[in-house]
Amino acid sequence: MENNGGSVVAMIGKDCVAIASDLRLGNQAVGIASNFDKVFPVNDKLYYGLPGLATDVYTLKEHLRFRVNMYRMKEEREITPKTFTHLVSSTLYEKRFGPFFIEPVVAGLPTPTELDPHPKPFISTMDTIGCVTTPKDFAVAGTAADKLYGVAEGLWEPDLEPEDLFETVSQTLLNAVDRDALSGWGAVVHIITHDKVITRTLRARMD
Amino acid sequence: MALYHNQPMAHAQEPTAAPIEHRFNPYSDNGGSILAIAGTDFSVIAGDTRQSEGYNIQTRYARKVWQLTDKAVLATNGFAADGNNFVKRVKQRLEWYEHAHHKPMGLKSIARMIQTMLYGKRFFPYYVYNILGGIEEDGSGAVYSFDPVGSYEREACRAAGAAQSLIQPFLDNQIYFKNQQPEPGSQPFIPGNLPLATVLSLVVDSFTSATERHIEVGDGMEIYIVMARDRTTDDLLGEGKLQKGMEIEELGTLGEGQGERTFLVRQALKRD
Amino acid sequence: MFLTRSEYDRGVNTFSPEGRLFQVEYAMEAIKLGSTTVGITTPEGVILAVEKRVPSPLLESSSIEKIMEIDSHIGTAMSGLTADARTMVEHARVTSQMHNFTYDEKIGVESCTQAVCDLALRFGESVEDDDALMSRPFGVALLIAGIDEKGPQLYHTDPSGTFVRYDAKAIGSGSDAAQQSLQDAFHKQMTLMEAHSLALKVLKQVMEEKLDENNVQLAQVTKEKGFEILGENELKAVIETLAAA
Repeated sequence: MENNGGSVVAMIGKDCVAIASDLRLGNQAVGIASNFDKVFPVNDKLYYGLPGLATDVYTLKEHLRFRVNMYRMKEEREITPKTFTHLVSSTLYEKRFGPFFIEPVVAGLPTPTELDPHPKPFISTMDTIGCVTTPKDFAVAGTAADKLYGVAEGLWEPDLEPEDLFETVSQTLLNAVDRDALSGWGAVVHIITHDKVITRTLRARMD
Repeated sequence: MALYHNQPMAHAQEPTAAPIEHRFNPYSDNGGSILAIAGTDFSVIAGDTRQSEGYNIQTRYARKVWQLTDKAVLATNGFAADGNNFVKRVKQRLEWYEHAHHKPMGLKSIARMIQTMLYGKRFFPYYVYNILGGIEEDGSGAVYSFDPVGSYEREACRAAGAAQSLIQPFLDNQIYFKNQQPEPGSQPFIPGNLPLATVLSLVVDSFTSATERHIEVGDGMEIYIVMARDRTTDDLLGEGKLQKGMEIEELGTLGEGQGERTFLVRQALKRD
Repeated sequence: MFLTRSEYDRGVNTFSPEGRLFQVEYAMEAIKLGSTTVGITTPEGVILAVEKRVPSPLLESSSIEKIMEIDSHIGTAMSGLTADARTMVEHARVTSQMHNFTYDEKIGVESCTQAVCDLALRFGESVEDDDALMSRPFGVALLIAGIDEKGPQLYHTDPSGTFVRYDAKAIGSGSDAAQQSLQDAFHKQMTLMEAHSLALKVLKQVMEEKLDENNVQLAQVTKEKGFEILGENELKAVIETLAAA
């Protein structure tokens, strides 16, 4: 984690979810790049973030793309956030004794089905070997995790509308990464609603 | 040479591994967190009351915040034994000073003295993070924060201890207005002049958040409020000003008293 | 007065059967041989004035230093064995700087005076671990002038280590007459300028030589500018007002 740095936070709102990350890639204390995305789409209702060792970010991202595409072709439907979480989890556990150094965060809106016409927004997070937690408020991971916990615990409230959720997740991320030497150098936020995904890059301290 | 080479070993023995060393560690970490915020004419200094060592809770009520003078309150965090002893010595120095100079020590002088006391033990430090809050000579609220060897700074707010990493970025946002900008045309934000009610609720939120996420924080909270002379106390003592579950008490003046008033607010925190 | 010499004259810290420390009393006498020194307190500040005895026209009068700075807000004037005063001023300076270092504030004038007096009785045979004591009492008296939060203050210290606060005080050879003049002329609402003139007037009365800018020294401590020794031109100006009156 401390090798390349980086942090991700996800939050639940009212019929929406947010996931955001910083953009730093470092080599220990040395900053290397300020455009290192750690959050990737699975589809337009499901995003996930991979903070941790950069080489594993690429490997895991490609690996997951492969397995999601196989799922899509076999099942002929989009993967749900919950299923995707389990997919990531089992992928990580396969490497139980030589793990990916990554703590994934998943955020998505499950599509309504006949069985469940009003599904709740979904977020989840895992440790490096795929042990899942599914909070009902927010999930944090990365080198600024403890800071993110503190700020999120202070700022988050239930049933935020998309724009308010955007403000909350942005403030949480920015203020947390500003106190973390290994995170920062820009930030990107995705707000996932039923009809669109809003993606914004934030102006942040670049030190 | 042969004489040496052929000498049979007196005690043929398997060589042992490295010698077993026993070393006394004089320090411990007793968890907990402290926090102070300055206003224009008041200062709030708070700490939780849990004291722990590892996963063991030693007590649910241990004091970390201390009234030093009528206008100074000191919060200590880190190794509790060092903290208690340090406060004792500071109080002793305050008494000596009053005898020598016929006046109570001012806040900035206490701050400087604490620096020299901490640096005096540069090579066997007090394992303590200190935050000093109170009223300055000019009547303004002040917060001074220290590292264990005496580096210090006057600030508008500071968190320290086990949950520093949780609380400080929250205070950056709410006290220093970091990553916020005022609406176009409205007044610029000035750190350190929030109303008392806002500051109190930020303190409570900080500690309930830290209690929620950090195992070493919880049980109870003590909030000291030092008010400048001639300042109204309506925003603290007025009807319905305190949050639910808060108990308040006024601490009497320690010296002759120059009009500053110190209040102690206690509130329970989760015990799990 | 001192015709009855006894063995108690010799031990510097031995009481006589009458309860006196002769060496300390003799040290006080040494001051009465010193040049006259005057201090006056006003609401604006404190002034110090000394007579500089210039025994020879070949002597460079500016090399005589009888008023010294202790800190930016405290100064001192001396009478008696001025060499002894160096030790005391050095101690006062160190104490003031240490106070400023430790407490981030200027030392009080009384505290500074107390620090000087703490030295006064540290004479006699030195005990082990007790470094660098004086072998005899200091033979000098000081007028310590300064300003702190309690306002302008003037203190007098003597070799016994006693200090007393004064509105106006004269020490040295002409002190008896000078003190009387001060008592007659002093009033609480004096301006700094009036104090300057009064100090020089008093010195003029008791000096054998004619007073000029070379044989007196004048200093002041004010709230605005702290301690300063008046320059030749300022001194001349005060002397002129004296002549005009």
